[in-house]
Amino acid sequence: MIPRVAICIAAVATFFVTPHVLAEYHMFQICLIAATALVVLGLVVVTGLAGQISLAQSAFVGLGGYGSAILATSWGMPLWASIPLTAFLVSLAGFVLGQLTLRISGHYLALATMAFAAIVQLGLIHSDQITGGAAGMPVPPFRIFGLTLTTGSRLYYVILPITALLFLIVWNVMQSRFGRALSAIRQSETAAEAMGLDVLRYKAMAFAASGFFGAIGGGLLASLSTYLDPAQFGITQSVYFVAVAVVGGMSSPFGAIIGSAIFILLPDLLQSFQSYLGLVFALLLLGFIVLRPNGLASVGLSRYLGVASLRTAGGWW
Amino acid sequence: MLAQVLVSSVTAGAVYALIALGFVLIQKGTGVVHFGYGDQVTFGGYLVLIGQVVIGLSFWPAVFFAVLLSALLGAIIYGAFMWPLRNASLLARIIASLALGTVLREFVRAYMGPNAWPFPFLLSQTAVSVAGVLVVPANLAIVVVSFAVLGLLFLLFEKTIYGKAILAACDNQIGASIVGVRVSTVFLAIWILASVLATIAGILVAPLLTLSPDMGLIGIKGFTAAILGGFNSLLGAVLGGITLGILEGLAGTYISSALKDMISYSILIAVILVRPQGLLGGLMIRKV
Repeated sequence: MIPRVAICIAAVATFFVTPHVLAEYHMFQICLIAATALVVLGLVVVTGLAGQISLAQSAFVGLGGYGSAILATSWGMPLWASIPLTAFLVSLAGFVLGQLTLRISGHYLALATMAFAAIVQLGLIHSDQITGGAAGMPVPPFRIFGLTLTTGSRLYYVILPITALLFLIVWNVMQSRFGRALSAIRQSETAAEAMGLDVLRYKAMAFAASGFFGAIGGGLLASLSTYLDPAQFGITQSVYFVAVAVVGGMSSPFGAIIGSAIFILLPDLLQSFQSYLGLVFALLLLGFIVLRPNGLASVGLSRYLGVASLRTAGGWW
Repeated sequence: MLAQVLVSSVTAGAVYALIALGFVLIQKGTGVVHFGYGDQVTFGGYLVLIGQVVIGLSFWPAVFFAVLLSALLGAIIYGAFMWPLRNASLLARIIASLALGTVLREFVRAYMGPNAWPFPFLLSQTAVSVAGVLVVPANLAIVVVSFAVLGLLFLLFEKTIYGKAILAACDNQIGASIVGVRVSTVFLAIWILASVLATIAGILVAPLLTLSPDMGLIGIKGFTAAILGGFNSLLGAVLGGITLGILEGLAGTYISSALKDMISYSILIAVILVRPQGLLGGLMIRKV
């Protein structure tokens, strides 16, 4: 057993050494992985933990990106303030969307969230006045303390700590009353209700959390890519996030990191098969859902990644 | 004006109806909601193209080739994915069907390229004037085929012993196997039938929309149509499709063509919330 202090010191040391060792391109990749992992973390909460399927994640990401960019361009609000504010508003939207789960579940919920994603995307395309329509819009640079962060190696100092903090929160909340309530709902809604849980409120809060993480991730991805294109926020992209979650493992927050790392690093490894990339991702998703629905986080390391506790507390799939 | 809008929207509606029929057939026959069905429709259209461009067949042999291959695809989907997942959770099955659709779409994108392909109409595109309203034979064909498929499926389910076996197998697998229905064969037959139907729909729809890998997104309209009709009723699927087509046509003409799709997705959410049994479907009481 390594003491926690040692792990923390090692983590902080790695955090500060990495930018001096790796090239800008790799720093950009790391930021991309961290921001994507945040988006997928939302799915871990709503689908992995609470058991509610959601195909709305790309809509939350889009709203988060566009919301923070519009607040910054039209209202002059700096991104460090507009991203959290937007995420708060999007989480309210998520809470409202979560109210759907009062009446519907399973494939109807999948359909309704899919329709929500499609509506949001069309809304972004047709509000030309403020979103730039189908052509998209540029994202103003991320400024904080008089510094302008535009490159991956600079945004790293913003994105990584935020991601680490939110992961720590989710990790702890999973073991809390709230997390256990969501687990109970996943395993049996009827039983959870019989135990006196306000099932609808918990499910809606899980959706709110997925909206919050999606929007924070969306805002960070937007400042990383510096341009928003509405084509990136459709149903296809929602399925992509689900694929990341499934391959990484939906029952653990670490699954989100593992999945994001694979989906972002794989294109580098497969450079000569660039046109087959989409097919490779799709086959990965199909293969994992059929053969290993608990994802990579459940392989070998499960004891250390908090998957085992979820599994012994009732099968997920 | 109104009559013309109605006639044109019935064509769009018939497209939705044809796709909705496939959804309902799979749902009614095997209890699975197939989220990749829209992509299977696209794949069907592409199979004809592959037959023509890659193998060098002429059009009708290519159609035959596509139908044959899609039957094989249906068998593979059932044997390799739906059968192993028969006891998996609903969540896993939903994601698996999404994944199947994505695999087909990305295969097409990788193999045939991301751009749209021209696809021949089966009938003439020249409009014929009937009582002052322009009617396009090629569009009429889609309407006719939708109703023909509806009629055939209706006969199958209501009038033959096989249809009864299918319904029994879906309703209660154990009960059906006790009275001698081979459940796995029934499900295999449904998947083959639905895949062939997807290819027929793809061939009819491809010239009307543009045949590109993303044509499968039309699937969500098929869903809306199926839900309007109750998801469990074949007649409901056709009526739902045509209703949706007309609503979209009216919304596109009198409100805004930009808002057309948003309106139909809003209808989807509204119907799911307010009347999940659809316009025609009977109320299903869920046991806890």
